[in-house]
Amino acid sequence: MRFAATHKTTSYLAVAFAFLAMVGGGAVSPLLVLGGALGLALSWFIEPPRWNLDRFAWLFTVIAALGLVYSALLAVSTGDYLGHGGGFLIILTVARASTRRAARDWQQLYLLAFLMLVAGSVLNGELGYAVCFFGFVVTGTWALILFHLRREMEDNFLLRHADPRASQRVEIRRILESRRIVDRRFLLGTGLTSVGFFIVAVIFFLSIPRVGTGFFFRGQNSLHMVGFSDGVKLGGHGRLKTDSTIVMRVQVSAKEFHGRRAPYLYWRGVVFDHYGRGEWTRTRSAPSTPTWTEPLPGNRERRYLRLPGISVGSEAAMAVARANAVQQDVWLEPIGADVLFAASAPLAFEVAPPTAGGRRPLEKNDEIRLRHDGPVHYRAWSYIEPPAAEALAATWSAPPGSDALGDPYRQLPPEITAATRAKAAEIVAGATSDYAKAVKLRDWLQTQLRYSLDLRDPGGREPIDYFLFERQAGHCEYFASAFAVMGRAVGLRTRSVNGFLGGEWNEYDGYIAVRAGDAHSWSEVYFEGQGWVTFDATPPGEADQLGRGSGAWTAKLRRWFDTLRFQWNKWVIDYDLTQQLSLFRSIGKKLSGGGRAVSSAGKAVTRFAKRWAALGGALALLAAVAWYWRRTRGRRRPTAPTRAERERSELARLYEKAARRLAQRPAAVTPRELARQLAERGAPGAAALEELTEIYYAGQWGGAVGDDALARARVLAADIDAAARAARR
Amino acid sequence: MARAPGAWARVWRRLRPPRRLRFTREGNWFVFLALAIGLAAINTGNNLLYLLLAWLLSFIIASGVLSELTMRGLRVTRRPAPEVWAGQPFLMEIAVENGKAGLASFSIEIEDLIDGRPLDKKCYFLKIPPGKTQRTSYRHTFSRRGRYRFDGFRIATRFPFTLFRKSRDTDDGSEVIVYPRLTPVPRLAPRPRHLGVGASDRLGRRGEFFGLREWKDGDDRRAIHWRSTARAGRLLVREVHDEIERRVTIIVDNALPAPVVRALDAGERLREDGPTLDALERAVSLAASHAAAYLDAGWGVAVVGRGLTVPLGRGKGHLARILRELAILPATTEAVALGAADAVGDRVLVVPAGVAAAGRPAADHVLEA
Repeated sequence: MRFAATHKTTSYLAVAFAFLAMVGGGAVSPLLVLGGALGLALSWFIEPPRWNLDRFAWLFTVIAALGLVYSALLAVSTGDYLGHGGGFLIILTVARASTRRAARDWQQLYLLAFLMLVAGSVLNGELGYAVCFFGFVVTGTWALILFHLRREMEDNFLLRHADPRASQRVEIRRILESRRIVDRRFLLGTGLTSVGFFIVAVIFFLSIPRVGTGFFFRGQNSLHMVGFSDGVKLGGHGRLKTDSTIVMRVQVSAKEFHGRRAPYLYWRGVVFDHYGRGEWTRTRSAPSTPTWTEPLPGNRERRYLRLPGISVGSEAAMAVARANAVQQDVWLEPIGADVLFAASAPLAFEVAPPTAGGRRPLEKNDEIRLRHDGPVHYRAWSYIEPPAAEALAATWSAPPGSDALGDPYRQLPPEITAATRAKAAEIVAGATSDYAKAVKLRDWLQTQLRYSLDLRDPGGREPIDYFLFERQAGHCEYFASAFAVMGRAVGLRTRSVNGFLGGEWNEYDGYIAVRAGDAHSWSEVYFEGQGWVTFDATPPGEADQLGRGSGAWTAKLRRWFDTLRFQWNKWVIDYDLTQQLSLFRSIGKKLSGGGRAVSSAGKAVTRFAKRWAALGGALALLAAVAWYWRRTRGRRRPTAPTRAERERSELARLYEKAARRLAQRPAAVTPRELARQLAERGAPGAAALEELTEIYYAGQWGGAVGDDALARARVLAADIDAAARAARR
Repeated sequence: MARAPGAWARVWRRLRPPRRLRFTREGNWFVFLALAIGLAAINTGNNLLYLLLAWLLSFIIASGVLSELTMRGLRVTRRPAPEVWAGQPFLMEIAVENGKAGLASFSIEIEDLIDGRPLDKKCYFLKIPPGKTQRTSYRHTFSRRGRYRFDGFRIATRFPFTLFRKSRDTDDGSEVIVYPRLTPVPRLAPRPRHLGVGASDRLGRRGEFFGLREWKDGDDRRAIHWRSTARAGRLLVREVHDEIERRVTIIVDNALPAPVVRALDAGERLREDGPTLDALERAVSLAASHAAAYLDAGWGVAVVGRGLTVPLGRGKGHLARILRELAILPATTEAVALGAADAVGDRVLVVPAGVAAAGRPAADHVLEA
């Protein structure tokens, strides 16, 4: 392949990868992206000698200036400095690619490509960036090596010293069009080398200490899910039910929750205490989340919720409590809310606390929150199994105003209709405990009403009244709200919870991928001495619209891609000091294990050597003798030269002798040049030497010599000798 | 005139590091960029910036590894031009053999080292395929005569990314004798006693038999007196009267003032020694030019100086010997006596202009250079 063409192709590929890495985040205006792609494609054809670029040298400056003004104005007016900065980079790249002439222009193009890659690191944190980055590493390595060679050629091949007195200019274009410099082997070798760079880069990446004080800002599109803000109107979740965007990946330690047939887990998130006008809200007057914090090394902390029956305050006791709970490693995507999710009844959350000066978000209703602008990784421990039914049945609610919990969870708005209250009373009639009331309410809702995503506007009617008596169908929010409201109407302390249910099991990496469509609402009922217990009034099996993931190859492929994305997020985007310490600890353990293995292996080898030393020595000696014999034998019997080699050798001898008779050939003069110089001077024997030189060339580099050519060479050599003798006389 | 390498140069050669690394302009920018990305990564905690930083750092490592691979297994040899003259350009052929079995070497620069310093010229090899040898030449001009010692080569490369220039020095000593500059000189008039005798300037066997003498390089083989040679057991040639008359001794006075000589021996370069040393160089050049002219005319030529005696001889071989001796003739003081001049032939005394020295003999021609 031609050198210049290969250089151009690899350079354009590198620029294209950097371009895609930047625009993949979607932060740059689509118009600019389209224009940039078209401009880059057109610039491929704009180059000398087809276009005389000397006349357009000013164009780059003008386009750059206009682009700067345009981008600056847009950035100031919209406040999107990163997006419009990226747009400016595109304008500059297209302008530079279209006006490239010399090595300096290529250099600037590479710099712009690199800056696009840097911009992409802020604007695009998706898996696509990883693909583009890898592509840039490979093609960029090719391009930079070829660029180096090109520039060295231009710098060094301007002159060729052919004669002591004068030098010839070498046509650089001829070399650039050469096919001998770059071949497939070169590209394969450098391509493999660039993969090596990539591996070294990965090792560096994992090793560089994460001492950053800031937090990752991607500016990427977060999901902004409804249902997890401070106030949620009924009906919001239904729109998400078919959305398979992954919002959270969870690795659960307990094996019983692994697999597509494992029990569903409730991923508890936002908890609401106040209902009114068809909307659940978190009020400021709601009880704050009671926690106890255990500081950890590496700027981490463990926050424990004060659950009934668990006395917090000692690390040892907490370790025991954690051992009885189910551990979850959660990678949460940005969903526009700062609440942290954990299964069923969370015991503790291990997080990186906000930096100094950063205020903690308001935590109410046993929620744990953490401000984060991007993906966040944390660890949680939960109790999955609720208390035994007998224990719950044995408890009775304290009368209103009689305990520390207070009455916020008994609140009922005046618009709750008498029919609703009467219906609740009718359902729980005969119940002998709070637990029995809750079970009766849940069972009635699950069996008497239908699950439906077909939402209808209740008009001016109270939504729960409309749901219970007219529509008699709805989705999880209606069931949960109806349960909470009716429970309150019959004296239970209830609250509404928004979170996720279940998720898709990823068999490739052993995690549960929780999707936006897994969003779910349920309720919690407070039992004296037992705490809050989950009650889900939605008909079983209806809430999970997306399922646990099918075995079809498309689903498998999708899960495999999600694994890649998960690993990318886990090991690149969310890689932090904790992960780094954990990684190096595990490497250290493996190495010390390896050291022990080496030591024991050494001892075993010593024992073996003591036993078999004599035999081993004899074998080694035998091998050495065999090796020496083989080597010396090879020397004694050199390969006999072939006939062609003998002929070539004789021809070379004839030529050297004959040429020496006429003139001393300077080092930098080729045989053909010498013959021509002698002929021009009219030296005797020059004509014969010219003919002999051609035979010599043909013999040395043109293939077989042949008997006739050799005979003719002998005659010519004799003629030259005679001519030289005559001239001397 | 070239000086022998100083003691410091020798010690430095022993102590030199195996590799030298020098940042190029691009390398400086690259490091600056890496630092900027590193700062941005630390400040923002953006792991993708850490990834870019890691890639930039791996580039530096890769650059070192690839440059090492490309420089390994190279064997460099030189082949100088047969004759090298002061003030005249010559070509030095440099051959590089890539001894690696499967790896080509790219972008190799070779510099010849004299006294541990590279010459101003370098040879560039774009690609040396595995197991192959590539040749090229560089042109150089030595401004002064002398014995030049080539210590070795500096093999350098900026491959693969022009970030650094890595080099290593190899030992490969060889010498080049740079002959004094030859200039066209007018034929000097012979002594008056020769006028009209021996009008022919061609070498031959004319004239009366004068005697026998030992064979020297450049003598005509036809002049060998075989009978006497057989008797004596060594080559003897006939000497005719004509040859006795057409012989000249060129006396070159290489004495310089003692302080200048001391300074030169110490390797110092005194500001005031320039003109004097140049005068000596001109004198040696003039002596060499006259020797060449006389030899070309068929004369026998002897050359003497302080610490130098080249006996009488003829022919091209003799000229080469004279040139070689003159090339390495050092500056000395007047304390060293001039060699004995031929008692029979003409005498030409060549002295550096502006330098007075004792012990100069009488001569038919005194030339000041």
